[in-house]
Amino acid sequence: MELNPIIEVNDLHFSYKNHKVLSGINFELNRGEVVSLLGINGCGKSTLIKLILKLIHTDADIKIDAKELKSYSHKDLAHKIAYIPQYNNTPFNYQVLDMVLMARVTKLGFFAQPSKKDYEVAMAALEKIGMEHLKNRAFGQLSGGQKQMVLLARSIAQEVNTFIMDEPVAGLDYGNQIRLLELIDSLASEGYTFLKTTHYPDHALLMSSRVVVMHEGVIVADDAPEMIITSQMIEKIYDIKADIITHGKHKRCLPIFDTNRQKDLHELTI
Amino acid sequence: MSHINDAKYLIIATIILAILSTLSLLWGQFDISISTFFDYLNHKLFSSPATQDFTLIESIILDIRLPRVLLAILIGAALATSGAVFQAMFVNPLVSPGILGVLAGASFGAACGMLISEHWFIVQILAFVFGFVAVGFAVFIGSMVTNSRSTVMLVLGGVISASLFTSLLSIIKYVADPYSTLPAIVYWLMGSLSMAELNETLLVAIPITLSILGMIFMSKYFDLMSLGDEEAKALGVNVKLIRIVAIILATLASSLSVVMAGIIGWVGLIIPHIIRMAVGPSHRLLIPLSAVIGAIFLLCADAISRLALSVEIPIGILTSLIGIPIFIIVLKNARAAWN
Repeated sequence: MELNPIIEVNDLHFSYKNHKVLSGINFELNRGEVVSLLGINGCGKSTLIKLILKLIHTDADIKIDAKELKSYSHKDLAHKIAYIPQYNNTPFNYQVLDMVLMARVTKLGFFAQPSKKDYEVAMAALEKIGMEHLKNRAFGQLSGGQKQMVLLARSIAQEVNTFIMDEPVAGLDYGNQIRLLELIDSLASEGYTFLKTTHYPDHALLMSSRVVVMHEGVIVADDAPEMIITSQMIEKIYDIKADIITHGKHKRCLPIFDTNRQKDLHELTI
Repeated sequence: MSHINDAKYLIIATIILAILSTLSLLWGQFDISISTFFDYLNHKLFSSPATQDFTLIESIILDIRLPRVLLAILIGAALATSGAVFQAMFVNPLVSPGILGVLAGASFGAACGMLISEHWFIVQILAFVFGFVAVGFAVFIGSMVTNSRSTVMLVLGGVISASLFTSLLSIIKYVADPYSTLPAIVYWLMGSLSMAELNETLLVAIPITLSILGMIFMSKYFDLMSLGDEEAKALGVNVKLIRIVAIILATLASSLSVVMAGIIGWVGLIIPHIIRMAVGPSHRLLIPLSAVIGAIFLLCADAISRLALSVEIPIGILTSLIGIPIFIIVLKNARAAWN
């Protein structure tokens, strides 16, 4: 087992047009971890991910696999980390197999076209997540959950061990949310490392080895999920009340539906 | 395996192109029969004895029809390939060399060149430079209003850029000699392959062929580019490099088509759409197939322009007349796929 973290962020500050987005971020992602990044919209979690992926330029001290991020080209980085975006809105409706095959393109020489081996790797990735029957379907016609699964297959075909996912369950229907989480969990048990942002403390409890909570550009907590996700934390970050209960082998987060609270607020404004 | 299918489509299209090219060499005001043509080929290639006097036939084929057929193939391929590449680079199925203003910019540049210099090379360079300036201007206008990538704003930017260079071209027309230069510019701009000469065609064939080949070699990156910059970068593409090289190649190919045959619209817009409807959007197939199908399309349009009426119809007018109804059909069918 190698000891150096796959991602290491040291004292990261980032501003966007004089607006401070991140300050003093220290963060590590170790091999084999599933880390959930929690926080409300605008807390800076997407920015952090984009900085790590070099999608936003930075000179900050970020190391990928013990090497400076600055020294990586996009191509080198794509051989270390795969990115699964929240949604994909290309106007061109590619076939599922072509979509997965895109993971192979930057591994080819300039004049080379995808070979039989690349097709096999792409098919194996689709089989791994049980989507091989959809290989000739148009990506645009898939459900949100199927799209995320295909993008996961593409990341597997990229032959890397670290996946960064931006709100993987956003916009998925109820059943697909759970099925996608189960799939991520089973990939994690095979040794894949995950860093994912999420809006659901409950999902973080279900399947993370570690949770990082961000608030107003600062990491406010970084620990095991059951240590961090407490009623107090939920109230502080999301301004709602929640019970943390034990259900089977998992802790679960159950928000409390409190209509009186809205009435109080209403009276306050009057 | 889908790469075997890819090859199959390409081979079939290339065979059709070869047959149509041969027919174009034979049909015209003076028809040449296939047997005469084969006798002539035999005589030329294998030095078999001449069955008749081939002087007239040779002159018709080599001096009149061959340059024209070659030019139709080159320009059709150049415009359709550039169209497909622009659509991928701007992630926008509604752009083409015409809509982005490249053709207008290149025609202004070429007209400037004709005015100031006899030298063919200067005309080509100026056409390319102003073609490139026109795309740049379209992108600038498109991004000035919104920060995000907007399909409609880029099209509007292109419309503005095209009308700017059309106006500038009018100034050139206004100052041009009304007895010699002006009619030459006007007739050339309508789009015509009739002035093709073998030497000129071969000269322009080199840069056009090279840029088409370049775009074909880059085609595997275009799938990734069309996912948007962030996803392409995350998959390992050097987005800036690929985009600038692809736009330069597409602009070069379509600007040179303007130098040779004036403004031939719609080819770059409709051919990629037709191919996407038939075989899907994967650029590994779309780009080379655009080259072949674009060539077939323009060859057919040229045949109609020569044969339909006793006088020749300028091909640019014809491609618009054919292109508009096709585009309306394509728009209706393709809308679902864009959203």
